[in-house]
Amino acid sequence: MEKILEIKNLSVIRKQKEKFVPVLNDINFSIEKDELFCLVGESGCGKTSLALSIMKLLPKSFTVKSGEIFVNGKNILAMDEQSIRSMRGREMSIIFQDPGAYLDPLFTIGVHMKEAFHGDTKQQQVLMTSALKEVGLEPYMLHSYPHQLSGGQQQRVMIAMALINKPSLVIADEPTTALDILTTYQIINLLDTIRKKYHPGMLFITHDLKLATKIGTRTGIMYNGYIVEIFIPGKTRPAHPYSSILMGTEYKYSRISEATLSWQSDICPFFEKCPERDSECEKQIAFTWYQDMTGIRCIKHGRNSQV
Amino acid sequence: MKRFFQRLRNHSKLAYFSFWFLVFFYIVSFFADILAPYHFDYQFRNKPYQPPTKIHFIDESGHFHIRPFVYNMIIDDPVFRTYREDQSTRYPVKFIVNGPERKIFFVFKTSKYLFGVDEPAGIFLFGTDTYGRDIFSRLLYGGRISLSISIVGVLISFTLGMITGGIAGYFGGLIDQILMRFVEILMVFPSFYLMLSLRAMFPLNLSSIQVYFLIVLILSLIGWAGLARIIRGMVLSIKEEDYVLAAKSLGLSHWRILFFHIFPNTFSYTITALTISVPGYIIGEAALSLLGLGIQEPYPSWGNILSSTIGNLKVVGDAPWLLLAGVFIFAVLINFNLLGDALRNVLDPKNW
Repeated sequence: MEKILEIKNLSVIRKQKEKFVPVLNDINFSIEKDELFCLVGESGCGKTSLALSIMKLLPKSFTVKSGEIFVNGKNILAMDEQSIRSMRGREMSIIFQDPGAYLDPLFTIGVHMKEAFHGDTKQQQVLMTSALKEVGLEPYMLHSYPHQLSGGQQQRVMIAMALINKPSLVIADEPTTALDILTTYQIINLLDTIRKKYHPGMLFITHDLKLATKIGTRTGIMYNGYIVEIFIPGKTRPAHPYSSILMGTEYKYSRISEATLSWQSDICPFFEKCPERDSECEKQIAFTWYQDMTGIRCIKHGRNSQV
Repeated sequence: MKRFFQRLRNHSKLAYFSFWFLVFFYIVSFFADILAPYHFDYQFRNKPYQPPTKIHFIDESGHFHIRPFVYNMIIDDPVFRTYREDQSTRYPVKFIVNGPERKIFFVFKTSKYLFGVDEPAGIFLFGTDTYGRDIFSRLLYGGRISLSISIVGVLISFTLGMITGGIAGYFGGLIDQILMRFVEILMVFPSFYLMLSLRAMFPLNLSSIQVYFLIVLILSLIGWAGLARIIRGMVLSIKEEDYVLAAKSLGLSHWRILFFHIFPNTFSYTITALTISVPGYIIGEAALSLLGLGIQEPYPSWGNILSSTIGNLKVVGDAPWLLLAGVFIFAVLINFNLLGDALRNVLDPKNW
């Protein structure tokens, strides 16, 4: 399969009061065409930073320490501003969390769609209308202002804007967090329909593991800037202690101490909160890859079929 | 545009009135050449400080006349300049009269005015000044200068402030440091003395057009610095907004984002600030003219019409109509302020 997105050894640090804080550590994964890769993790674990570093939109205080990001085989991090700009919206696009804040309040939906559209201007009106219909909105909404739409409608507009140029990589950064449960499923269904129609590679970021296991073709679990596990929902069972906690199966979260994160790079990232930790875990633990493109960062719960 | 008026009227009847009042003032002073009965430097040597002419409908024998008429005023007492009406001849007010040719803004020629009376009588709605010139005509002509200086000056300082503040705030870093230090240097001078010293750099014997542009330039070069600083602050906060990030993710260029997303979001503030700063230009021009550094006689501006009263309380007491220029300035200022206050709400799409 052709790889839409490939991330190799990505590490990102953030400058905070003359100190450098790691944000992303040793991120390795790839997304293929027609794949829906879900990324799950708690707040502050680096999901959004990862999404923004793929778009090369990280805030100024963030620095990429090492690693490479390939989108459609092109190394994003080595590109200049001009060429990355021509890729944004055309080859890769992003759907944000709170749709209300991501639409400029002064402009109508039509103006937003026009800005998002990069292509033949003769077809513009037709394509804008069909893109709106595709996400289940009426064409008259082109003349509406963002505040006149509901949250679900705003998110549909964002999706229409992200997909109008048929990009090969779509990043959805918690697109349903600000929405109620029914609207959430409508949006999820919409994304699913669109994926079946255009077959983009999709990176779906969420903090709802149940949702991720339902829709994802593969699911990655992030903790503290590390990807601790990648598994295929329905096929492999998540084995990492943190995944188990997220699944709510084996441990109650109350058993986990509220220890401050020490940001030590030489031990297991989940060491301080892990209920199963012992002295063996106090060393750097590498990510173990298996043949079906899954893997785990734990020495206790590894499988035998290593690559 | 139609919806704009609708919204303005719904928001505030007073501001709606202010808007049309200002439009009326601008139109009237634009067409001063047609509306004014006399040219601004036309003198009635025998009628200094004549009080406003009374317009009559009924003559001394009690007959009613449909066409209004005036009487010639003659000086009764040359020492105290008291006038009396010479009721021997009636001078009917004529509409659309012919007279010497005038040029509207140096382009269109007209020799017809809206109204007038035959000489030796004169129709002075607001009286005359020390040279026997019609104050009403001079106010109309003066409004042309005072009102246009404010609009042109505001546009220049708005553009300068917007671009400087926008670039400094958006790109930050060294550009920001250089531009903002320059703005601060401009701001540390007390603006009135800066205005005077800038004016002092140029010779006094300039032609009236040169003086006009000089004043516009001086006033706008002083006015933009404060605006630039505020715009910079607004851009600093707006560029962190999520919709700017979203615009970047759509692959828009920096300039496009700055001009189409960041600047429009400052408009709710800047347009209000602009309408409120318009009075500053009118006052600035008036202050320069008052000190004799602005528009020079015989060219009228509201400032120098007002300045003819300076230092002579006796004249103000005897001919209070000379202060009407101040009333005009006041009326325009208060209407600009009312309009500016309302615009802030009217221009915000969330209130639509």
